[in-house]
Amino acid sequence: MPMTRLLPLALALCLSAWTHAAPIAESLVRIEAASQEPNYKTPWSPGTVVSGVGAGFVIDGDRIMTNAHVVSNARFLTVSKEGDPKPYTARVLHVAHDCDLALLKVDKAEFFNGTSPLEFGGLPEIESVVSVYGYPIGGKRLSVTRGIVSRIDFQTYSHSGVDSHLTIQIDAAINPGNSGGPVMQDGKVVGVAFQGYSGDVAQNVGYMIPVPVVERFLKDVEDGKYDRYIDLAISYQNLFNPAARRALGLEDDDRGVMVGAVYGGGSSDGILKAGDVLLEIDGYPIASDGSIRLQNGVVPLTEIVERKFRGEKAKLVIIRDRKKQTVAVPLDDPWPFTLQSNAYDEKPRYVIYGGLVFQPVDRNFLATHDPSNQRLNYSFDFFVEDEIYRDRKELVVLSNILPDPVNAHTGDFRYSLINEINGRRIQTLQDVAQAFAKPEEYYVIKTADVGPPIVLERKAVLASTENILKRYGIASEQNLEK
Amino acid sequence: MNPLLRLIAFCILAQAAVLGGAFQPRFQQQSQPTPVPSPSPATSIETPTQVTTRSIIRVNSTNQAYDYQSPWQKKPSYSRRGLGVLIGENRILVTADLVANSNFIELEKAATGEKSTATIERISYECNLAILRATNPIFLYGMIPLPLEGKVSIGDSATVLQIEPNGELARTPGRISSISVAPYPLENLGLLAFKLSIPLQQRDGSFTLPAVRDDKLVGLLMRYDARNQTADIIPMPVISRFLDSVKFPRLGVSYSPLRDPQLRRYIGLKEPGGIYVTKISPKSSAASAGLREGDVILAVNGLPLDQDGNYEDAEYGRILFSHISSTLTAPGGKVVLKILRNTKIEEITVKIEPMDRSNTISPSFIADAAPPYFILGGMVFVELSRPYLQEWGVEWTKNAPQRLVNYDAFQDELPTDRGKIIVLAQILPSPDTLGYDHIDNVVVKELNGRPIKSIADLAEAAKHPVEGFQKIELEEDPKWLFLDAASIEANRAELIKHYALPATERLDSATSALP
Repeated sequence: MPMTRLLPLALALCLSAWTHAAPIAESLVRIEAASQEPNYKTPWSPGTVVSGVGAGFVIDGDRIMTNAHVVSNARFLTVSKEGDPKPYTARVLHVAHDCDLALLKVDKAEFFNGTSPLEFGGLPEIESVVSVYGYPIGGKRLSVTRGIVSRIDFQTYSHSGVDSHLTIQIDAAINPGNSGGPVMQDGKVVGVAFQGYSGDVAQNVGYMIPVPVVERFLKDVEDGKYDRYIDLAISYQNLFNPAARRALGLEDDDRGVMVGAVYGGGSSDGILKAGDVLLEIDGYPIASDGSIRLQNGVVPLTEIVERKFRGEKAKLVIIRDRKKQTVAVPLDDPWPFTLQSNAYDEKPRYVIYGGLVFQPVDRNFLATHDPSNQRLNYSFDFFVEDEIYRDRKELVVLSNILPDPVNAHTGDFRYSLINEINGRRIQTLQDVAQAFAKPEEYYVIKTADVGPPIVLERKAVLASTENILKRYGIASEQNLEK
Repeated sequence: MNPLLRLIAFCILAQAAVLGGAFQPRFQQQSQPTPVPSPSPATSIETPTQVTTRSIIRVNSTNQAYDYQSPWQKKPSYSRRGLGVLIGENRILVTADLVANSNFIELEKAATGEKSTATIERISYECNLAILRATNPIFLYGMIPLPLEGKVSIGDSATVLQIEPNGELARTPGRISSISVAPYPLENLGLLAFKLSIPLQQRDGSFTLPAVRDDKLVGLLMRYDARNQTADIIPMPVISRFLDSVKFPRLGVSYSPLRDPQLRRYIGLKEPGGIYVTKISPKSSAASAGLREGDVILAVNGLPLDQDGNYEDAEYGRILFSHISSTLTAPGGKVVLKILRNTKIEEITVKIEPMDRSNTISPSFIADAAPPYFILGGMVFVELSRPYLQEWGVEWTKNAPQRLVNYDAFQDELPTDRGKIIVLAQILPSPDTLGYDHIDNVVVKELNGRPIKSIADLAEAAKHPVEGFQKIELEEDPKWLFLDAASIEANRAELIKHYALPATERLDSATSALP
């Protein structure tokens, strides 16, 4: 996880629109979103409604492109054009939380009268000038800022918190409200403004999503749905050390990286092995720091995989046991990683039984609860690396106890991972619901922490349920759907 | 200001700095200590004790702990001052934390300022007690040992002794407000302690203060909470046990109260009271006796336990049962447990021995011992221990590398033959470690194909490079590291010189200071 925190640009308030002579302004869209964020401490509540503003732009097919974080958890969306104060209701057509992009459609086709879809350019050159369009804080009207391309590199996308993709850093001011706005060069879109550092961390550092990432998203949704990014699901390490190179039988040519972990169930499982040396990917030579040289510069080797889709293959030249060979890795999406990313447009799942609240732990949960349970925190942090997911598909915990006579003596079990209920191994929240659905005299809950089992008597629980739900204002004793 | 007072003032400030730092403050919540202590303002509730400085002696100890991150060196030294009690011929009782990691111990007569050196006769970090011995016994001639008193009860008064700068005793009376099993500092194990309600003043030398009653010693002060004005006192039963045997017997069970009626009905418990055994420490007395997780302990030596684990002690009232097994019973002695197992009542006799800590994977407390380490071509290897993790500061459970914290927290769950956790702690950059300098705090699995369970294993395996390489296998990324065996030998002298290393290895945790 990065040490400094990238802030997704929160949406600024802005009310009026304004005519602009340039054709770019004709395609610029102001998006107003009313969104509702659930609270993982009260997972049964629908959440508080907040509103915000972001930018977007018209692309071909009467679609509006913006950031995923502008429309995440949205309940109601309106869009308006520059120079036309009328708001039109809009809907999310596709959203990609792993690369912070979204496409909107507008209910009334007349919205697009007078707009012209913007076209995409390529990767801009370092030091070339770009213009950023949007509705940032500091005023109500359209704002244009200018800057140069400072750096092209991989960056963590703070919206999901775990995905890294190619990113372009520019020195033009990018502020809350710029989100989703186009970054232009020579009349073409070269990026979508999306994140920056708050002023106390770094100044004149703004980031945009470059065209390769945008185009991948557009191609992905051609079949009508968005699939996640795919991944090699390996870790690799540099091979600078001369002794390491000789030990692995490599020449002194600064090429190749060594595979560290091959995550079970991932794309490379059974194809790559720890200790393999990766020399080439799809014909591009891999340097000893894991980088490859593309036409626009040096990028990590994963950029090759980034541009592919599920089911496609990555061709690797490797050295195994000092022999060169070629392997093809069919690429798939890395499911265990999703637990560690921020989730949106999801309802919190929970089961309440006898006032005991059970919840699956994900990043959203941890952001609200901040538990101090060592075993839970370890299981979350090392979920992928130590393959905890082989043992537990979800990390189900006892997250709270809603006080009631039935649980008056249950004790303090907060945030303990649930191991089993009446002998049934708990892999998912669904297992918890099923265990309690089966009538038994006693329910015996065993946790991963040291302590006696938690025992609930069915008849006592049944007698208490209605009171508990009423007292704590809970509409339903469980929600198993995202 | 006369020179003596100035010296004292300096000492107090020096100590205040230490207290504010890494060490557990003896006087919590204490604001700026005044350089010149004023006489005790308390009016005595009882007749003040007649104990004189002829039984009490100042102890000044200069202590220095190892730097676990750079284990070839020690941290800055610090001094602690306290009062020792003469309890027999050339036997001075103090708390262990006064002299933990001591380099140099000095005895000082309060009245005359005469000084002599001292050594540790015995020390126990379990009960936080030590006995010192003057190097020259003649130094103690004319002093009178203080008799010991075990009979106290709640509500009794006790007087804590301090020494004024002029060498006079300051006597502060207090009252015993509770007697219970409480966690002791250092090893954090529970033993009997008194709580004394007392308005103590910060004075020069606050480690180890004697508590007396009727001219007899009733205990030593081990903690003072200035906000609540309560002192924790190590009482006579613990002191007596320590005088008999340095190590305390331990049952080795974790338990949970049995308050939940649903749980009581489920396990078929009809009798009142009882506690639920939640964990048996590996290789403990309880494990040897066949006690199991899930057993309910109903009585100890015929004394019934309530649902919180207390029994009715003839002397002290309701006390946690562990007082019987860890203090009232001598090591090797027996306790009889009445247990409920699978709804049947059974009796089980446990021979209680001190905990065998020789094979502890990650010890929670280490003093007077030098941490083992091994340096291979700039890679520094250490054994995982709590003191190593505590180098990350007070918030070490959050800030230290989580894999290591996890090993420490759940070490009981590791296979019994796991051995020590060997950590590649840091890399001293050198031409041999080029490209490795970002690596730290990763766990070593093998060296040259040999499993590593101790620093000594590592040193042995390093003697057998494979095809000219030292091949290090780690448990996590990066999985393998290679060093050129010949090159690191050739660069060894340079590395030692460059980083001023006294040695590239210490294979055993050689104890220092103790005979």
